[in-house]
This record gives sequence, C-alpha cells and structure tokens, in this order.
Amino acid sequence: MTAFTTIGKSVPKIDVKEKATGHALYAADLKMPGMLFGKIVRCLQHAHAKVVRLDLSVAAKMPGVIKVLGPDDVKGHPYNTGVLDLMVPEHVGQMLGDIEDQVVFTRHVKHQGDAICGIIARSEEQAERAAEKVIVDYEPLPVYLTAEQSMQPDAVQFTPLKPGNRAFQLPGEMFPNNAYGWGDVDDAMAKADFFVEDTFYVPKQKQCQMEPHAYVAKVDDGGRLHCWTSTQMPKCVHIKLARMFDLPMSKVTVTQTVVGGGFGARLGMIGEPIVAAMAMAVPGRPVKLQYSREEDWIASESRHPGKYWMKIGFAKTGEPVAVDALFRSYKGGYYTQGSGVAFTTGSWLGGMYKWGACRYLGETYYTNHAPCGAYRGYGNPQTNFVMEQLIERACGKMGADPVEWRKKWHKTVGDDGWCPGVTYPSCALDECLDRGAAAIGWSEKRKKFAGQTGIKRRGVGVSVMTHTSGAFPMLLEHTTATVRINEDASAEVMLACSDMGQGAHTALQQIAAETLGFPMADIHLKTGDSESSGFDIGAHASRTVYVGGAAVKSACENARKELFDRAAQYLDCPADQLTMRDKVIHAQATNRSISVAEISARGVFNYPDPATGERSGIPGQIQAYSSHLATHNSPPFAACFAEVEVDMETGEVKLIELVNAHDVGRAIHPASVEGNLEGGAQQGMGFALTEEIYYDDKGLCQNNSFTDYKMLGPSDMPKLTSILVEDPDPIGPYGAKSAGEAGIVAPIGAVANAIYHATGVQILDAPITPEKILKALKANGLSM
Amino acid sequence: MKKRDITLTVNGEVMEVTVAANQTLLEVLRETIELTDTKYGCGTGECGACTVLVDGSKPILSCLTLAATMNGKSITTAAGLAKDGELHPVQQAFVEEAGIQCGFCTPGMVLKTVSILAENPHPSEDEIRHKLEGNICRCTGYAKIVKSVQRAADLMSAGKAAE
Amino acid sequence: MSSRVLPDFELFIPTSLAECLDILARQGDKATVMAGGTDILVMMKASFRPDIVVSLVEVPGLDAFEWDAAKGLRLGAAVTVSQLLASAEVRRHYPALWQAAENFATPQIRNRATVIGNLLRASPAGDCSCAILALGGTVVFAGPAGRREVDIDKLWLAYNVTARKPDELAVELRLPPPGAGTRSGFHRLTRVNEDLAKLNAAVRLEMDGTICKSARMAMGCVGPTMLRLPKCEAAVTGKTLDETVLKSLQDIVQSEISPIDDKRSTAEYRRSVAGVVLKRIIRHALEA
Repeated sequence: MTAFTTIGKSVPKIDVKEKATGHALYAADLKMPGMLFGKIVRCLQHAHAKVVRLDLSVAAKMPGVIKVLGPDDVKGHPYNTGVLDLMVPEHVGQMLGDIEDQVVFTRHVKHQGDAICGIIARSEEQAERAAEKVIVDYEPLPVYLTAEQSMQPDAVQFTPLKPGNRAFQLPGEMFPNNAYGWGDVDDAMAKADFFVEDTFYVPKQKQCQMEPHAYVAKVDDGGRLHCWTSTQMPKCVHIKLARMFDLPMSKVTVTQTVVGGGFGARLGMIGEPIVAAMAMAVPGRPVKLQYSREEDWIASESRHPGKYWMKIGFAKTGEPVAVDALFRSYKGGYYTQGSGVAFTTGSWLGGMYKWGACRYLGETYYTNHAPCGAYRGYGNPQTNFVMEQLIERACGKMGADPVEWRKKWHKTVGDDGWCPGVTYPSCALDECLDRGAAAIGWSEKRKKFAGQTGIKRRGVGVSVMTHTSGAFPMLLEHTTATVRINEDASAEVMLACSDMGQGAHTALQQIAAETLGFPMADIHLKTGDSESSGFDIGAHASRTVYVGGAAVKSACENARKELFDRAAQYLDCPADQLTMRDKVIHAQATNRSISVAEISARGVFNYPDPATGERSGIPGQIQAYSSHLATHNSPPFAACFAEVEVDMETGEVKLIELVNAHDVGRAIHPASVEGNLEGGAQQGMGFALTEEIYYDDKGLCQNNSFTDYKMLGPSDMPKLTSILVEDPDPIGPYGAKSAGEAGIVAPIGAVANAIYHATGVQILDAPITPEKILKALKANGLSM
Repeated sequence: MKKRDITLTVNGEVMEVTVAANQTLLEVLRETIELTDTKYGCGTGECGACTVLVDGSKPILSCLTLAATMNGKSITTAAGLAKDGELHPVQQAFVEEAGIQCGFCTPGMVLKTVSILAENPHPSEDEIRHKLEGNICRCTGYAKIVKSVQRAADLMSAGKAAE
Repeated sequence: MSSRVLPDFELFIPTSLAECLDILARQGDKATVMAGGTDILVMMKASFRPDIVVSLVEVPGLDAFEWDAAKGLRLGAAVTVSQLLASAEVRRHYPALWQAAENFATPQIRNRATVIGNLLRASPAGDCSCAILALGGTVVFAGPAGRREVDIDKLWLAYNVTARKPDELAVELRLPPPGAGTRSGFHRLTRVNEDLAKLNAAVRLEMDGTICKSARMAMGCVGPTMLRLPKCEAAVTGKTLDETVLKSLQDIVQSEISPIDDKRSTAEYRRSVAGVVLKRIIRHALEA
C-alpha cells in the first residue's frame, strides 16, 4: 500500500481563506478607472418575434449615456456560445451539423430574453433608465413550445441552416439509421420474454449557480481586447473571442475571475461576446456588464428537457436483451450544445448495462425558450430518471431484488464503455452496491416497508450510474501545463484548468506536490490567465483531475526528471540510484547529497569563470512542460440509495436518508469528493422533486426567480452519507477517476424508486410533486 | 433625486456617506464604501448573499434595505470578522470543515452562523438547518456547512472556556 | 423590472407620528408606507412605482409589545415577526401565531418584516394573517380624526386591498386574551420548507371538556383574500371533535373555498388537501 504525502488527505483547500473573508474577487467586484456600465435590453414581452422598428434616439440622449448599440452597431461574426466546435475535427462538426446561429443583438427574437440592443452609460442606474426609453416595435410570430409544434411543415423556420426546425439528430454518416447502439434491436425485442416501456418527461432545470453572470471587458489603445469572466473554459473563450472579432489570439487576453459556481452554465460563453462588443464601441474604457438574477433563467442555458421514450426487453433469466429509446428534446431558440447532450443521453444508457442490443435516437428541435446547453450530468440525469424507473418496474415483474439484478447485469471491467471500443479499465460498482445497501439497511427496509397501510409510508429505492472522466474519445482531450522551479526551489505550476468550487485547484496542487516531492506550501498554482497558460479544453465532462491532473503529473515528472538528471551529474551517480527527501537529493552509494535549492540557484545564478570563460555546474532554469492528450477514459460508477416517507393524504415527500457510494478510484482530496457528491445530490433531488422552469402558453417564463424556482434548502435535505470506494484506476493520475458531475445522477432514480416503493405508483413526469403523486394515487385507487 | 447624508458604522469604522433615496444598503456598501464582500445574488431577498449583521448579530438583507433608513446603525460584514489577518472562529471552522466550495454564499453563511451562535451557542442540527434557511448554497448540499456551524460552536465555546 | 436598480421616488423619514400623519394626509394615494421594507422593496424591484415612500424607521412609539392575561396582546406597528418568535407569551398563549411565525420566510426577513405589515399586504397567502384571522383581533389606525379600530374580519376587502384609508397609519394590533379552553394551531403546505404557502390554515377553538363551544377557522391561498370558513366552524360547534366530525370537514370546506391553478399548486390539489389540513390542525391543537 503506497503511502502518499498529500494524495488522499483533505488538506486545507488553497483558495478558501479569501472566500471566507469575502476578499475573493468575483467579476462583479472588479473596479477600474474610467469604468462604464453596460446594460443589455432584452425582449421580455414575446417569445418569438421580429423587431420591425428599433429607435435608440431617445435612449441615446438620456443622462450619462455614452453609446447605444443596435444590431448593426456591433462587430463580430455569428457565434455559438457552446465551444464544442473546438473539441471535434472540422469535418466531424460538419457531419454533426454544428452551426453558429447566435449574434450579439438580434432582429429575430427566438425566446423571451433574447438581446435586441445594448446601452453603455456612466452608471448602472443611468443605463437602466436609458433602457426604459428604447422604442421597439415587434411583429409577433407563432410560438412553439414543443418539438411537435416546431416540426410542423408550416412552422416559422428558426434558421435557414436547419430546415424543419430540427436542430440535431445523430448523423447517418456516423450512426447508421441515425441511431447510437449495436445489434438488432427489433429482432432481440421480438424474442424477449417480456418488456417494459413508457414515455417520460424530463424537465428544464437550471444550474442556479450562486454568482450571477458578470463581466468586464476593455479594448486598450493598442487594439488589444481584455475580458474578465467567470467562464469555466478560459482558453476556449480566448480562441472564440479572437475568431469572432478577427483578432489574433496574441491580441486577446481572458482573465478568469473567481468562479462562483458553474455546473455547466458557464461551459462556453454567455455574455462575453456582448461585453466584448460593448468594449469595442468605447475603446480605452472598461465596460462592466452585470446580469440580474432574473435574467439567468431567460438568458442563459438550461438542461435539455423533453419527452423520453424507452422500451427494455428481458429474457426470463433477467438478461436485458434489448433497449430501444428516443429522446426528443426542446432545444430552445439557439443551437449551442445541440449535438452534445442529444448524443450523450444515449451513450450513458449504452454504457450502463449489458444490453444484448441497443438503439438510441436523440434529436432536438428548436423551440421558443431560452436555449439548452450544459448542466451537470449532460443527459445522464435524464437517462437515470427513465432507465432506473423502468428497471425497477421490470424487477417487480421478475420478482428480482433491484440490487441483485443490477449487480448481475451492469457493465464492468473490459466491457465497452459509453463509447463502443473504449473499455472500462476499472469498476467497483459491486462494492458500491454492497456498502450502500448495508449503510441504508436495504434488505431489512425492503421487507419492512412492504404492505404498509398507514398514512405515512416509507420506501427505499436504488439507482446506479456510470459517467465519464473527461470526454475522450468523443471530444478533444488536451491540457497543457508548465512547471517552473524558482530560484529558491519553490515551484510555479501554470495551466488554464478551472476551479468552480469543486476543489480542482487544490487537487491539482496536491498532484504537483506529490509528484515533485515538494510540500504543498512550496507550490503556487497560476491559473485563469490566457497569457501565461497554454491550451486547455476547460472544466467540463468531469475532466479536471483525470486529464488536467495527468497533465500536471506529467509536467512535474518532467521537472523532477530534470532535477534528478542534474543531481546525477553533480553527485556523480546514476539518476535511478538517487532518492529525494525534504527537497534534498541523496546518493546512497557515495553518501553525497545536493539540495533542490542549490541545483536551482546554480542553474539561475550562473556565471562564467572570468579566466576560462567556462560555466560551472549546470546552467539554466528548470522549466518543464506537458502537452497532455488523453488516450483513454476511466468512467466512475456509483450506486445511490434513498429512503423517503410519503404522506398518502397529501402526496408530500419527506426525504429521510440518501447514501451515495461512489467508485472514485482514488480520492485525491476526500472532502472535496464528498462535497461534490453532496452538492450533486441536492441538485439531483431537486430534478426529481421540485425544479422546473415553466412557461405560459405564450412562452413567457413564469418562474425566473428563487421565489418560484424552488430548490431544496438546508431543512429539506435528508441525512447524506457519502461512501468513497477506492479501487485505484490503472490510468487515472494516482488512480483517480472523476467525481465532479457524478453526484447529481443516481439520486434521481433512487428517489423516484423510493417513492414507487412507498406508494406503489410511478410518476413519469419529473419533478415528482405532491400534486402528481396525489393525482396518481387517486387514479390508482390508492389514496386515503 | 435628493441625496441625504447619513452616518454608518461599518465593521467598527464610523463613516459619513451621502446616499440617494433609492440606493439600497447593498449598493452603498459595494459601490460607495467599496466593500465587495457583501454580494448581489438575487436582489429580491431570497438567496442571502447580501446578508449583513446589525445591532451586533442580527442578520438582515442589505438588498431589501434602503441605505437612507440606516442612519446611525452599526453594520458588520464578513470582511469585518477577521482581525489583523486572523480568521474569526466561524471563518476558521468553514475552512476546516471544507464548508466552502465556490465561496459566493460564504460571506452570508458566515454571518448567518455568527447570528445562530449568538442566539444559541449550542444549537441542535435541526435548529441549525432551520436557521440557515435564507442563505442559499448550490455547491455543498449544505452538509459541510452544517458541520462548519457545529465546528464553529465548538471552537467558540472552547475559546470562551479559555478566557 | 430590475432587481438591481430601484426606481426613482421621494423618500420621507418622519420623526414623529404627527409628522407621518401629516404626510399621509397631504399625499394620500401617492404615498406608500414602509415599515420593514421586505415587501415594498421586492414590489419596487418588480413593477411597483410609488411616487412617495414614507419610512417608519424613526417614528417613536410604534414598538409596543405587551401581554396581559386580561387584556391580551398589544403589538405596535414596528414589531417584527422575530419578536413574536422570541416571545414565550406568544408561544404559550397564541400557538397558531407562533407556529405561523416559526416558518415564516427566513431569519433575515423575520428580523425586518412587521406583523402589521403582513396584515396590510393583504395577501391571501400571508401566514401571520392567517393565524390572526383565526385568533381574532383588532387593527388600530391613527388618522387625522384620531384613532379607529377595525376588526380583523373587516380588514381585507379584496385582493391586496384593505380597509385602511390613504390618510391613516396602522399603529397597533390587539389580540384578545385566550380563555382556559382556548386551543389554536396553524399549518401550511409548501413546495419546499422555505416558501410561500400553497395552502395555509389556522384554527382557534374554545373547548369545554371535549365539546367545542365555538370555533374560528381561517384558510389562505384558496380565494382572493384570507377566508373565514363559517360552515366548517358551524360543523364543529357544539360537537365532540371525533374522527367523523373531522372527516366531514373535507366535504364541507369545498363550498367555502375557490382555489385556482397558480405557480404554487393546482385547484384540484388544494381541494384535495383542504380538509386534511384542517383535520390535522385541530388534532394537533387538541393534543397540546
């Protein structure tokens, strides 16, 4: 058993003191000389309309107004706030049909909240007053709130690039018959001994990160654009802004401010194109743009909602011989991550169980809502809600224990993962199921809660999941890292990987410390600066420890190798016979040693002999680099158990306990892994029970506020237990697999299945509200 | 709009500020006094990121308070808790228990914790959860925040015992 | 709307009751009175644009908080919901009101929101309003002609409309003292714990042994104002409150409420649970 110095220890996180004191600077906290304030004017009264008249003349004359910007006043090419185009080869992007259909200010309003013009003023209040004086006439267009509506042949086309308003379907060139999967599903299903089938509805859920979106941008006198943003993907934003405004990357700087939560909301761009366009309109002056909270739901991206049909065929033995599924999602007004979630929703399905045959069709249609993008889990929450409830129904039919069935039929080491051909290198799901079941008291409670007759009834449910560690092979997986040994033997690690609160920076610094053999305190992580770091694809797909960490490990190994090679010369001893302790390198054989400090100093402060001109020692500062491209994927697995109590007279659900057992490989920082599982559970249970963005029949959002978009609060949460199962992965750095997204997924199926166990009814439309439960109980003659 | 001169004591420092009628206390703290630790999270009194303490340890929402109505009041923000670079025991507890992820809710949570422990130095978990309502966190699921409050209670009663 | 920038308005901060009444007399409907501000400011960040806001923060004499076994409870206009919660007398003598205060909003809002402010908001969902309607009470207004008392049953005229005249200020709330047989309770249903109610109800019973001599019942979120339930009250009066009587309320209450579908719930659901909530409040109040 390897003893690590810092890996596996919940060391104090490196960035939290300044957060505790409130000194951490988020984008809205930035103040600069001469700063102006930007305000986006949005169409709030229509979900679909053409702007037929835009008159900014009155607004322009309001006190404090510096500039008013209509659609023709801003520079920049159409863009896509999603950054998937940076992660697939161009020809693949073309096959997928990825497009760039967003502009800074639009004349074709495609959702309530679409931006029609902008104001720049000396103060926020002045910008707000001027915005009230914008004169705009709209021609309302028909509103499409479902795929079924927008796919009609006479529907208004959202973009000429997508006839029939189908934003995406799996392309036939890559997926025969536009389906992900394998085998002959129709044949296998016909031979099945029984099947379960239903159509579910998964809701439009919002990330609700606590930091509202805010930006500062400035174009200096040299024409250089600087953008401060809390994006999850600083290097992607760097390239995108450069391309959008026809600037070389060397004339664009992106500084990532402290990220107040992401969860996918910031997976790409949101307001960066707009604030950059504003900055270009007032060169030399910084422009600050702060979104109000109410803009969040109507002007940034959500989870993909929609109808999700699934049919699973079983043999008498319980073998899942076939699965057939269709997810038809309501895309919202713009393409953004159009090809991403529609695909992965199916791939999570394909990767979970040993399906004999599998067929998944995923498609998205434009609708007049705020667009869908990335939200933690990226299709996996949707699949979990559907798949795990159908499995539960099937287990009921088979008389099979839901835990035992899953142990028998989940995919494991050597099986194809979510991408056929890339097999699972590790899987500790059985241990997750066993330990989770024991922790919640599964067997006893399944028996105890059978045949209840009282008003309050309890139930326990189980769900399993697998996710991903980075996006190989679907997307580019590339992170670069540079390690510099300073003159005093402290180290600087420079990279663009993001910490959104999930603890990635601390884990990366631990990996650096462990690999270099330096104490944590001797290392500084420089992140979030596009000028000093090389490429990184961003914080998404739960990749920062698995791929970012591998880059850091690789760069540090290179630095350590250089140190040892120099020590070998200084100590006249082969490098493989040297050891290092407390930053002193020892040659056992000769009993000689040299400190890292001395190697560094002699490298940097290196003078030629005045007489001979020769250099002493080994000159040069040590700086090592890694341009790490992942070559595999080690998805984590998890089992979640939930206990609920349902009030049969009111349909109210009380959450009693949730156990999340996570196959993490190795927890670099256990408290951070737990924190991600616990936070994910709050979001997953919200998906299952309370969260949905909803609209009236005109497409106007009814709940863009915390008043009516309800999330579980501290007194709603159940007892949470996190079990970290450590079965080190052969590939992940120090055996680690991902934990960033996973925690949201399995609680969804577990809570739904617990409600089923307690009540005998399954609710197919999430969120599962008391209204739906009571209605179902009455319909099934089960109400009290 | 007519402006008023008011006196505010913020983190122990007496300040004369000129405020407009329609300026919230949040705006005056952030823009006029330039203390950015108090956050705008929603502006409608739901999320608690704008929490400040008045009259010692009473938490209120600065986004729903007109600055002009706070003349003569004494206000504490999160930045006022640490003394000479030493974290307040509540802040220390949040660090130790990993109760901080993205940190945006943290200033409000820390102040709420101070108020909870001022009312009851040994609150039960139920009481903690009930009183934390009004401070939204989206990162932690509240689990380690509750642990941080409990740890803070231990640190503060140990500190008192030591006095 | 903007949750970041408030509209323009004129702010008065009177330093005496007389000065306050003078402003209201002169400005009438153009003036909005603000106590804690937690309702008014939220409304102003939405679409509410008052010309004039009158803050009570510096008006003395509005902070009365007196309990007397013979006279009952007397609360001034500045008394906050937190103060109710902190009061052992309120908890003991007016359980319905204490229970309403306990889960009302959040600690920060409770520290500023006033009890009388909740009444004057005239929301059909106000938790404290619900409890007070069941407990019975009197609101005292000060105006140019002196003081005027309005019974709680006559306070709410329509959705968001009270009996207050534009030149009046509500200065006091009086709750009658409970008797030996008084029992009360409050309950509400929400989407999550910290929430506006989707249904709330409160009950005050005068018990003589096991017989209920009289009852006041209030229910919110099922009509344009907070409602009394006279038929349900009649159904329990003079009766022993056994399961049959309590169960009968489920049907009786249907003709007294007119719930709608809204953001928080549906008419169908509210009808399904209205009687259940009443039954549970009564059971719980009798156990205490």
